[in-house]
Amino acid sequence: MKDMYILGIESSCDETSISIVKNGREEIATIISSQIDIHKDYGGVVPEIASRQHVKNITFVLEECLNKANMTMDDIDAIAITYGPGLIGSLLIGLEAAKTLSFIYNKPLIPVHHIAGHIYANSLVNELQFPLLAVVVSGGHTELIEMDEHYKFTKLGGTLDDAIGECYDKVARVIGLEYPGGPKIDKLAKIGKPTYKLPIPLHDDSYNFSFSGLKSAVINLVHNEKQRGNEIRKEDLATSFQKTAVESITSKTKKAIIDRKIKNVIIAGGVAANSGLREAMTKLTTELGVNLSIPSMKYCTDNGAMIAAAGYYAYKNGRIADLSLNSKSQDTLK
Amino acid sequence: MRILYIDTSSNYLYAGIVEDDKCIAEIKEKFGQSLSEMTLPRIANLFEQAKLNPKEINKIIVVNGPGSFTGIRIGITIAKVYAWSLKIPITTITSLEAMAISSDSDCVHVPMIDARRGYVYTAIYDKNYQILLSPIHIKLTDLENKLKTIEKFEVISNDFISIEPFPQKYTPNIIKIVNFYKNKKDINPHFVNPEYLKLTEAEEKHDS
Repeated sequence: MKDMYILGIESSCDETSISIVKNGREEIATIISSQIDIHKDYGGVVPEIASRQHVKNITFVLEECLNKANMTMDDIDAIAITYGPGLIGSLLIGLEAAKTLSFIYNKPLIPVHHIAGHIYANSLVNELQFPLLAVVVSGGHTELIEMDEHYKFTKLGGTLDDAIGECYDKVARVIGLEYPGGPKIDKLAKIGKPTYKLPIPLHDDSYNFSFSGLKSAVINLVHNEKQRGNEIRKEDLATSFQKTAVESITSKTKKAIIDRKIKNVIIAGGVAANSGLREAMTKLTTELGVNLSIPSMKYCTDNGAMIAAAGYYAYKNGRIADLSLNSKSQDTLK
Repeated sequence: MRILYIDTSSNYLYAGIVEDDKCIAEIKEKFGQSLSEMTLPRIANLFEQAKLNPKEINKIIVVNGPGSFTGIRIGITIAKVYAWSLKIPITTITSLEAMAISSDSDCVHVPMIDARRGYVYTAIYDKNYQILLSPIHIKLTDLENKLKTIEKFEVISNDFISIEPFPQKYTPNIIKIVNFYKNKKDINPHFVNPEYLKLTEAEEKHDS
């Protein structure tokens, strides 16, 4: 069969990224233009600023990617685009760019759900084995998704309020760490002790999560300690928080593995970079004797390669859009 | 010489293909929220109407604002990716100048776009379309003071702006705009960007 080169475009939040991936598995080139330094001043991503940056970046990123791959648009077989979910103004830049390229070069346009992208980031490292359980953990998502075959997704459960990554960033802010605070908490958690008592969120029989309660518990704890004139031991709080947050993920994952007779587990999304979660998931899957796939660090954050990889399997599944494809700020993975 | 004109700076899509001083296909349609969805299908229709391949274009003229932030970005993204892909010249025109040029009135032209909270985006052009006041984000009352010194002028706007004289409706004269701009200096597509004339709210708060 002829090789298929897919150009993947991702602009759902604060990264403009374009990649070329061969046959859904082999990364040829990736360019990521991150805006973290711009948004740091505001303590989080400002949607209008993000949109303004994407439009400035888009052709630079496209040109660099093709140059890096030593390819031209004529060598590309299809264009995969994150249509959602995400920040609508940001999504639209990638979308219009993808549609324009599809129109000019008469190439198929493949709509990719952002979470499908995170799941297929694993495909760039290991071939996906089914049936699998995808543990999706990022700044915008916390979901357990079961897959029996390529590009068929069944959501088992998800967060009822905040996403885990969002909770990390908010807790980081409360204890005075700069945005993005998630990785900083992870670092501190390694040196602290779990001395602070925090409630395990949504300790029930469902596959759902809840992180707003945990966030409030940390805020209250910090507030109460201050009132009593006690200094917060940041590293101990980080350890306590991380332990609780990770336990919430692993306990629901364990339940899903046993109930659904899962043999393969993958972690997807930005929080897959969290070392505490990686360790706990490794321990859990070893205990239960199931396979675990974790994307390499570079595929944990948003990137075009995961969109191109997912795009390959979406295309095989007949998912092709026309030029009226629109971005969606919210959409369920189907 | 075939030129593609794109303006998505309001809730209308204005686009056309101009070939040797003739507009061979054009669209003027209100879309509002569905502009992001419909702009490319409609541009594709233009090429069908004109029986042209998407690659048979020699130049792009795109409106870079002011107006709807999201709207401007839609047109700019399409135009810069287009020009970059085909390695063809691209140039920008402001929405306000396009509005002025489209008017045939023999007086000073004051195009205006509602910027909310008592502000407008505006500029002032003389009857020969030479610029008297560069595009600006200004309080309507402050603009009215500036206009007191001008003897005869018209206001052009598609928005509900309470000003004397009553605003003339705007419909672009695409062939006239393109003729005005076809010899204007080209810009590297990488540097074709929106002119918002206004910082984001976060930046305004941050700076103050």
